[in-house]
Amino acid sequence: GEVPRPRGVSLTKAPLYQPQANGKWTCLDGSKTIPFTHINDEYCDCADGSDEPGTSACAEGKFHCVNKGHQSIDIPSALVQDGVCDCCDGSDELPATGCSNSCQELGAAEAIKRRNEAEVHRRGTEKREELIARGRQLKADRAGRRSELQSHIQEQERLKSEKEQLKKTAEALESEALEVFKEQQRELNENTAQAEEEPQQMRHEATMSFVRYDTNKDGFVEVTELMVDMNLDQDRNGVVTVEEAKYFLDERERVDLDAFVTLAWPRIKPLKMLAEGLFQPPLEAPKPPEQEQTEHDSPSEERGDMAPEGELEDEHDEGEEEEDQYDDEEADVGIGEATPEIETTTTAPNYDPETQRLVEAANEARNAFEEVERQIREIEHEIKEIDEQENKDYGLHEEWAVLDGECYTYEDREYVYTLCPFDRVSQKPRNGGAETTLGRWEQWAGEGEDKYSKQKYTQGAACWNGPNRSAVINIKCALEPKITAVSEPNRCEYYYEFETPAACDSEAFATAAANSAHDEL
Amino acid sequence: VDPNNFKTCEQSSFCKRSRKVQSTGSKYAIIPGTLNSYADSLTADLVNKDNHHQFTFKLEALMGNTFRLQIDEKNPLRPRYRVEHALKGKPATTQIRVQESQGVLSITAGNSKAVIHGDPFHIEFYEDDVHVVTVNAKNWLYFEHLRQKAAVQTEGAEGAEAQDANPDAIQPPAETHEDPGAWEENFKSHHDSKPYGPEAVALDFAFPAAEVLFGIPEHADSFVLKSTSGTDPYRLYNLDVFEYVVDSKMALYGSVPVLYGHGSQRTAGVYWQNAAETWVDIHTAETNVVSSLVNFVSGTRKTPPPSAHFMSESGIVDAFIMLGPKPIDVFKQYAGLTGTHELPQLFALAYHQSRWNYNDERDVATVSAKFDEFNMPMDTMWLDIEYTDGKRYFTWDKFKFPDSLAMVKNLTDLGRHLVVIIDPHIKRDNAYFFHNDCTEQGYYIKTRDGNDYEGWCWPGSASYPDFFNPVVREYYASQYELSKFKTVTADVMLWNDMNEPSVFNGPEVTAPKDLVHFGNWEHRDVHNLYGHMHIMGTFAGLLKRDPNQRPFILTRSHFAGSQRYAAIWTGDNLADWAHLQHSIKMCLTEAVAGFSFCGADVGGFFGNPEAELLERWYQTGIFLPFFRAHAHIDTKRREPWLFPERTRQIIRSALLKRYSYLPLWYTSFYELEKTGAPVIRPMLTHYPHDKEAFGIDSQLLVQQRLLVRPVMQQGVSKVDVYFPAIDDKKNGDYWYDVDTFERQERAGYVSVPVTEYKIPVWQRGGSIVPKKERLRRSAPLMLHDPYTLIVCLDRHGKADGTLYLDDEKSYKYRDGEHIYVNYEFEQNQLRNNFIGKPKYKSNAWIERVVIAGLQLVPKSATITVNGVSQQLEVEQQGNAVIVRKPGVKMDVDFALKLNY
Repeated sequence: GEVPRPRGVSLTKAPLYQPQANGKWTCLDGSKTIPFTHINDEYCDCADGSDEPGTSACAEGKFHCVNKGHQSIDIPSALVQDGVCDCCDGSDELPATGCSNSCQELGAAEAIKRRNEAEVHRRGTEKREELIARGRQLKADRAGRRSELQSHIQEQERLKSEKEQLKKTAEALESEALEVFKEQQRELNENTAQAEEEPQQMRHEATMSFVRYDTNKDGFVEVTELMVDMNLDQDRNGVVTVEEAKYFLDERERVDLDAFVTLAWPRIKPLKMLAEGLFQPPLEAPKPPEQEQTEHDSPSEERGDMAPEGELEDEHDEGEEEEDQYDDEEADVGIGEATPEIETTTTAPNYDPETQRLVEAANEARNAFEEVERQIREIEHEIKEIDEQENKDYGLHEEWAVLDGECYTYEDREYVYTLCPFDRVSQKPRNGGAETTLGRWEQWAGEGEDKYSKQKYTQGAACWNGPNRSAVINIKCALEPKITAVSEPNRCEYYYEFETPAACDSEAFATAAANSAHDEL
Repeated sequence: VDPNNFKTCEQSSFCKRSRKVQSTGSKYAIIPGTLNSYADSLTADLVNKDNHHQFTFKLEALMGNTFRLQIDEKNPLRPRYRVEHALKGKPATTQIRVQESQGVLSITAGNSKAVIHGDPFHIEFYEDDVHVVTVNAKNWLYFEHLRQKAAVQTEGAEGAEAQDANPDAIQPPAETHEDPGAWEENFKSHHDSKPYGPEAVALDFAFPAAEVLFGIPEHADSFVLKSTSGTDPYRLYNLDVFEYVVDSKMALYGSVPVLYGHGSQRTAGVYWQNAAETWVDIHTAETNVVSSLVNFVSGTRKTPPPSAHFMSESGIVDAFIMLGPKPIDVFKQYAGLTGTHELPQLFALAYHQSRWNYNDERDVATVSAKFDEFNMPMDTMWLDIEYTDGKRYFTWDKFKFPDSLAMVKNLTDLGRHLVVIIDPHIKRDNAYFFHNDCTEQGYYIKTRDGNDYEGWCWPGSASYPDFFNPVVREYYASQYELSKFKTVTADVMLWNDMNEPSVFNGPEVTAPKDLVHFGNWEHRDVHNLYGHMHIMGTFAGLLKRDPNQRPFILTRSHFAGSQRYAAIWTGDNLADWAHLQHSIKMCLTEAVAGFSFCGADVGGFFGNPEAELLERWYQTGIFLPFFRAHAHIDTKRREPWLFPERTRQIIRSALLKRYSYLPLWYTSFYELEKTGAPVIRPMLTHYPHDKEAFGIDSQLLVQQRLLVRPVMQQGVSKVDVYFPAIDDKKNGDYWYDVDTFERQERAGYVSVPVTEYKIPVWQRGGSIVPKKERLRRSAPLMLHDPYTLIVCLDRHGKADGTLYLDDEKSYKYRDGEHIYVNYEFEQNQLRNNFIGKPKYKSNAWIERVVIAGLQLVPKSATITVNGVSQQLEVEQQGNAVIVRKPGVKMDVDFALKLNY
């Protein structure tokens, strides 16, 4: 049976609405004592609005909808008797408003919806278990691979010093032989002056370069002076390291002009030629990226401050094209690792057999040494990649790990949207045109316990007249991974709705459901 | 803005020529014997004594202390344009008495008198024998008569059409012929062919009884007009100005050529009815303490009176001289000529939520739902140009808005409304019905050679309907019929933007002056009226669509009289503190020029306001009549919930305050329609004697009831508020802080501490303000909610104030279905006094009466209704007492007495 209580009061609060012996009643915040008859008399007496639970008289009051058959809720008193049915049982309005009671239907529909959701969570959780297992396996694999690489690298380091020693020995013999050979050649060349033309040109080039590199003009080219030349960034990681620079100086700290001409220039020149496009390494000849680009490289149009629609759209597109160029740069895989072996492709002088043998031996030793160095770099690179992955947060149970490396797409009227979790999000016009990066993996962005319900991708392509693009991924549980919607509520801020079993958690779902169902029934 | 995109006076040949007369003067005289007098008017011929060209003038006496002066050529080569549609109707005239003595004619009409001097021609106007206006005081009358182009100049200009050469019109070469800009003019890459040559008109007006001049919106400048000596004149030419600068005399979107001169004893005004490009020079002695002291001591003016020099490119002289005597009189006289905004639907006075753009139906639904989630009231969602199918107006983007009717219903179910934009530029697209109709029917504005003019605007290549043609207006209006515009309902209201018209590739971002309109008038003649004609069409369309719903239209371009059809906003402002401050200055000037329904984009259109600026902008915006948040497409979203809790609460509390005062706003708009008295008013309106108050434009009055001085500076903990004096002895009204009822008793500056929540507002002692203090999600849902009366007592323990109510939506109020009541408090008793019979049935009642300024706290109150008395509780709350729940219905007589 129902306990009598004022309109708009919940069952749990009903005991608070009892008159005192003198027929008075005290506001729930204790601020004031009023006649009990003032409750729900359409006049706000209490500062906390507690005397008018059933009317709209108090601006900050609450009305309790019982909603029998569905979920009980508190609504702001602003919604009471405003002619709009807000409670499904219609209790917030007077009968004259004619609200129907839809709680049974809604409750039933809600129950079905919840059951369905629970089912999705249940089955999704099974799938998630698989993801967890695979994620853990991946983690273990990474750890295994890493220690494998660690021991491998130690091995290679040992090998490296060995090869270095061999190289030094071979080079010592070689340089001795070359001195002798050069001496002979000089004598020989005194007669054939024009034969010297080519080396002389080489020497001239080398001298010019020496002067350019020797920025402090001390007569030596030093490691630091070479480090500014990005052409020498052989592993293309954006910096010329001391090691890289030293390679070109024959592993010395600095070289004088002669040493530069004979030892450093032959190593530098091929890279120069490469950079100038005069030389293509024999392996994996790259497709020049320029071609694609120039197609979109429309002449920059005038951007009026108030460009009409057509122009605006152009601008929009243009912005993306601009951005696309950056993309091409960074996604550029064509050029590959610059190979120092190039040296061998230049025509060698005609040595006498003994010198020839020593030079070849030295070349071999050098190659062997470089090969070891290259392998070390490769291993280091792989370790770095593993560490980067380790640093990405794949969830409490590694359930997200499998998604790294996957990509999902979504098409709307104009664009194809892509999400590559833990990497990047992008957008590409359906009717052709360049892809625009909307953001790169930044972090999980859900609040508090819901940390894994949102991802944030930032530092996308810059918007014309605006910020860099960015994207937020809202994640929900479903049996199959899928993007269900993409929107751009703010210019250049994108929202993806993404579903995946990785987000399913039947336990948490059950707990949440239990909490919200805790109302009066 | 890049000022180089807009002309200076020097670059505008007619302005340059008209201004030159300031050094040379002119010689016009009445031709003796040409005088004719009629019952209400007088006519005579004038001659220019330099070139002997003849003119006629007519001086007419109008009802309400107003004269109308018209000067035209006696025999013009072709008719000269006379402004149409600006006046609300033909002004009613009044009887005159003519007296002549010693060649001077006096015309008397009621309290006012015009004294006409024949040579040099000038007219002095007197109000109750005080000289308030002189026309042609400085002999700067300048009237370029139409003429044939001299043969030598004909070559290369293929447009000298006036073949039927009127021999009278061939004049000896005058200075105008020497001006290279007289017959053609270039600006940047644009050429103005000027087929009719020079045709400027200019006239000066002096205000002998005035100390300050104000009016002639729209400029982003102070309320009081500044001297233009050494600067360009103020310019009136409707233009789309991108990121306009403040403290500037540059032209903006609207032009209202009405100007007022105010002094402590008299206020007068001049309405210069001309729709062509107009420049106005202002001559005011820079008054300082010394000169005003000298004036005071000597009792006479030592400096020349302030004056204004109007210069227009074409048309005739058509000037209305309004003689006051008080500021409110002259504002009403102007409203009597050009009309007022009619009482809007209540929702239009509530909060509008806009952005360029809410992207799709889901976006609109989400924003609306968020206001509910945060329990903040909001009435109207707006859709900017992106809702259309490719900027084709009267169409929708079917992908983003597949079911606009359902979207609208979701809003209207909650009492909310939708406003959509319809601009005048029409996309030139053969698959677009509107374009095809206009092309086939010849509805577009034409170029000189008779082709449809093509400009560039949002849709790309566009043409512009010639709204001056009644058939075009009719066609346009009919497009609003629900049988044609099927994707909206009669609850969807309209926004007319870009109607200066804005033409991206046109001269000064507008249409070329040599385009041709209906009636063969040049665009030059009618430019400032284009937007006005546009909204006339929209208004007719909305009325036709639903004759019993009051239309709501927002327009950017406006002219004198546009207030009859639409509200305005101050255009594309910036999110900075200076633009916030100018929102008040600009709307005050608009208000006295007829446009009470004025507001500025809350938060600023361009740029991203920081939280504090947004908070202060909401707090200011709630006290301007049109209250809309709006933002550029490139800005970040700024709906209140996107800011931290503190900001959200500050904004919410401002919104609640706006809604609580809706009964006051509504009553004020009813009284605006009835009387023409502006809703918001500068201090001088009610404190005409207080010289200190003349220039104050950081605070405003809402009617004569509230004094509002919002915080419009960054990081301040106090603001200086000026409480105006009612007499020479520095006595002021009582003013009660509306939050605390703390009383200010003294006139002068007071430094008032403020918190981030504080909006410094006072209610005048002697006034009663009706409020509704219950929160709802939208204004229409408040219809039946009870009222609170705030009674603030004056020095004599008295107060009174009106309340108006009706169904808030239909025109039934015009049939008397309303309640209009004046509440009066004196001798501890509150009574109502119905004005007319209360004929509207309302469920509303009086919830509480708050009384501030009582000497003692009463023990109780007694209300008597129909002879039945009832005791009411009285409670003290701070500096006021509250009478609990009188409960009386709004249409019932009562008396409420305080018991001690």
